[in-house]
Amino acid sequence: MEFLNRSSLARIGCVALAVGLASPALAQTQGDATQAWVLPRTPDGHPDLQGNWTNATMTLIERPPGYERALTSEQVAALEGDRAAFIEIHSADSDPDREAPPVGGVSWGDSLDDEASVLYDQTSALYDAASGGTGGYNIFYIDPGDRVAVWDGEPRSSLVVDPPDGRIPPLSPEGEKARSELEAQQAQFGDFDNPENRPLAERCLLSFGSNAGPPMIPNYFYNNNYTIVQTADHVMIMTEMVHDARIIRLGERTPLPAHIRPWLGDSWGRWEGDTLVVETTNLPRKQLNGNRNFAGGSDHFKVTERFTRVDEHTINYEFTVDDPAFYSSPWTAQVPFKALPDLVYEYACHEANYAMSNVLIGARAQERGAAEEGRVPR
Amino acid sequence: MNTMPTKRLTLIGGIVVLAALVYAAPLVAHHAFGAEFDRDAPIRLAGKVVKLEWVNPHSWIHLEVVSDDGTTVVWMVEGGTPNVLLRRGLRRDCLTYGTEIIVDGYQTKDHSLKRANGRDVTFADGTKIFLGSSGTGAPDDAERLRERRARGRC
Repeated sequence: MEFLNRSSLARIGCVALAVGLASPALAQTQGDATQAWVLPRTPDGHPDLQGNWTNATMTLIERPPGYERALTSEQVAALEGDRAAFIEIHSADSDPDREAPPVGGVSWGDSLDDEASVLYDQTSALYDAASGGTGGYNIFYIDPGDRVAVWDGEPRSSLVVDPPDGRIPPLSPEGEKARSELEAQQAQFGDFDNPENRPLAERCLLSFGSNAGPPMIPNYFYNNNYTIVQTADHVMIMTEMVHDARIIRLGERTPLPAHIRPWLGDSWGRWEGDTLVVETTNLPRKQLNGNRNFAGGSDHFKVTERFTRVDEHTINYEFTVDDPAFYSSPWTAQVPFKALPDLVYEYACHEANYAMSNVLIGARAQERGAAEEGRVPR
Repeated sequence: MNTMPTKRLTLIGGIVVLAALVYAAPLVAHHAFGAEFDRDAPIRLAGKVVKLEWVNPHSWIHLEVVSDDGTTVVWMVEGGTPNVLLRRGLRRDCLTYGTEIIVDGYQTKDHSLKRANGRDVTFADGTKIFLGSSGTGAPDDAERLRERRARGRC
């Protein structure tokens, strides 16, 4: 198996550092371009947010310990260099005479040495969690973002900026109670009893609960892409995964009754100067609790999003979650959306794509095997 | 620059990830590999591509494997979303029927299905079917791509 040694990390780190060191000149060029750039507007006079965008980034939602909000240029070079090294090593040729992988599973980190950094470790752990020890599939299928998030020129260590520690606040006592009740309710059933017990993404209903949101948070795997279309009285955001279109109505809010809770909730927008402000309520609990990036929410979950186009290539996307029945305080994250110089493809996710039946048939097979051996199935 | 020793960083990284995944573990994969495949049933397959399904949420490569006794079995191998490959230049001729490939991965939990995940899918010489970018924009990225294309690879 390929092995990443200190010298190769240093080499790739140098490439990244060189890119980082070159950035002042690049920033200057972009600065000049920014001066020439004029905010495009739609015929009704509002900022034009339309186009294809991506929020892929290697900056995680929450800040790792030991980091400040702003990353230093050295940290950026190290983190992006490690990500590049990770991709590099997993793109290398394999031994054509290789045997089957080991019984018991493999880790994405097996090919790494002790020089691997915090990001390297996080990445391999994330993929290990996804693959359940089976190694997932080749890295060329994965496109998680290879740059840290930069907000108004500041490289960030987390998407969450408030609370100031970059961490999502703990649950309120009411939230803790709701979570305990949910876990107790879920514990009555087996994970593989039926399709309804499987995650929303597995059922092709929503991508990890996080891409379409709101709030729209990258999934750290792939297809973190969006198409925005706007008219004078509506804004549509189509999320590539899993082909979800959110229709935001503009104007005076006439919200849905509390008991009507569609996927993606009930979104209403308004313009505050050149910023589009969108408030969403009525998100279904199943969507909130199926989100892989935060703990969930109550029926009172409200998210306020702010879209500000700051240059030709960037929309500053900020959101605040306010759910006093679930979280001990509101929390805010800032996620730059960058122009995607590419197409957004249809993601016709279909539930019958073998995987769901493989999961359920597999569970039944394991139950039969366990019964024959007189043991409890895994 | 964070000056903490590397091994300490590694330890902290593990803690961070665990914390981040507290609510995420069962939900992380689109189709959770741990739910679909058996980590105790590794397999190595070598054979010819007989069918491709470039569909979402997962692509599937079918390959015909000749057993020691001369009989043939068609195995299905799961890969990722084709949307990423489309953006990386997936073309009809990138992986043609009849191409010899090698796959290692893990079987589905029902071993009778003859399906596995494509943990590592390569041509017969060990090179990857496609190539992801290093992400650095490093000059050798373009050089490697040119070299692959000269050999008819994507």
